[in-house]
Amino acid sequence: MRIRSFDYWAAPSLEEALIELDLCRADAKVIAGGTDLVLNMKKKNIQPRRVISLHNLDELDFVKPDDSGVRIGALTKHADLAADPFLKQHLPILCQAVGLIGSWQIRNVGTIGGNICNASPAADSAPPLLVLDAQLILASKTAEKKISLDSFFTGPGATTLESDQILKEIVIELPKQPAAGCYLKLRRRKAVDVSLVGVAFQAETGSDGKTLAKVGIALGGVAPIPVRAPEAEAILVGLTLDEAVTKISDCAKIAVKAASPIDDVRATASYRRTIINVFIHRCAQNVLNTLKNGGGN
Amino acid sequence: MRVPINITVNGEEYHLEVKPNRVLLDVLRDDLGLTGTKKGCGLGKCGACTILMDGRPVHSCLLLAAHADRRQITTIEGIAAEEPHPLQAAFVAKGAVQCGFCTPGMINAAKALLDANPDPDEAEIKSAIAGNLCRCTGYNQIVSAIQSCTLSKSDLQAAERGESNE
Repeated sequence: MRIRSFDYWAAPSLEEALIELDLCRADAKVIAGGTDLVLNMKKKNIQPRRVISLHNLDELDFVKPDDSGVRIGALTKHADLAADPFLKQHLPILCQAVGLIGSWQIRNVGTIGGNICNASPAADSAPPLLVLDAQLILASKTAEKKISLDSFFTGPGATTLESDQILKEIVIELPKQPAAGCYLKLRRRKAVDVSLVGVAFQAETGSDGKTLAKVGIALGGVAPIPVRAPEAEAILVGLTLDEAVTKISDCAKIAVKAASPIDDVRATASYRRTIINVFIHRCAQNVLNTLKNGGGN
Repeated sequence: MRVPINITVNGEEYHLEVKPNRVLLDVLRDDLGLTGTKKGCGLGKCGACTILMDGRPVHSCLLLAAHADRRQITTIEGIAAEEPHPLQAAFVAKGAVQCGFCTPGMINAAKALLDANPDPDEAEIKSAIAGNLCRCTGYNQIVSAIQSCTLSKSDLQAAERGESNE
C-alpha cells in the first residue's frame, strides 16, 4: 500500500502554519498525529498534493485549567488526555471516552484535534464533548473564532472548518454543581474497532444536589454526524434523582428517535437502535447512582 | 522531494533523507535493515509493527517517517543487548511464541506497560496488548509470560533494599 507522493512541510509554529495554509488552501491537507490521514492516504481515499504537518507544535499540546474551565490544545494525544489528573477528576467522561479510542498504539499518536476535525460520525471524543458543551477555537491567519462543537459537524468527514483554518483549542466549562457522566461504546473487538454505537450521558444537579439541573445525552455512530438528543434530555431535567430513575425508559425511547442509523457491514440499524436504548439505561443508572451517593465531581 | 530527519534507533543516531510518503516501518526494514519489526496489515489493526517511540508503543505502519524526526525509537533489536530481555526469556519459557510474527510487537507493548507500571493486573495486561493480534497462541501464554515478569511492591522494595546495601 504505497502512499502517493506529496510535498511535505513541518510547520515550526502555528503562526507560520496559518500563513502557509492561507497560501495553499484546499491544495494542502493538515496532518496532526496522522493515524486517520495516513490510513486514508494508504487506501487512496485522500491523495493530497501537499501536507502541512503540525506534529512539532508543542504549543498546542496542553491541558490548562483556567478560571471557569479547562482549555485543551488540539494536539494533545488521546493517551495523555485519558491519564490527565485534572480531567480525570473534573471531566472523567472525556477520559473514559478517549481512553477507548483505537488501541494504546493509536492513542499514543492520535490527537483530540485530529479526532474532531476528521469528523467521523463514530469519533469517540465527540459525544462527551457535545454533552460538555465544548467550544472550539478555530484560528486563521487573520482571525480567531470561537464556535460551539454542536455547530461544527456537517456530515461524515465534513465540518464547517474553512480551508484556511486550524482547530487550535477545545474549551470546556466545568460543572459548577455536583455532576457525573458516563460513556459507553459498542464494538466487535476489544480494541482498534470503531464504535458501532457510542452513548455519552452527563448530568449535573442543582445546588441542592437532589434535582437534575442539566442533562446531556449524545450519540455517536448512529447518524451522519454525532448528535445530541435534546428531547430525551428534557424528560429528565428538573426531576429529583429518584423521579429520574423512574423515567429512564421514557428517556431512552425518545433518545433512540434522535438517531438515524444505517445498516452496514458492521451492524444493522435496528441493532444499533436497540443498543442505544440499552446504553442509555446503563449510563443513566450509573450516573444517577453516582450522584445519589454523592460521588459526583 | 526528501525530508531530512534525525532519529535515534536503538541508541544509534541516524541522519536520513526520506521521501515524505514513506512510513517509519518501511524505513526501519528497508533502509536500516531492522527486519525484526513486522509488517502485518499495514493499517494499524494488527499491532505487528509496534515499536517504541520515546518509550511509548506506536504503530510504525501509520507513522510518517518524517514524524519520527528527533525521536527515540526502540525496535525489538534494541530491547536487549546480549542476553535476552526477561520478557523474551519469559515468552520462550511459557510457550508464548508459535509463528512469532506478532512477538516483536507484543514484547514492545509489554515492555512499555511494565516500564510504566511494574505490577499490572491481568486486566491491565490485556488492555495493553489489546491492539496486538495473535492468531496462534490464544493469548493465554502471552498474558502468562508477561505476568511472570511483573514485580510486586514487595519485589520492588526488596530490589531497592538490595541496591542501598551495595
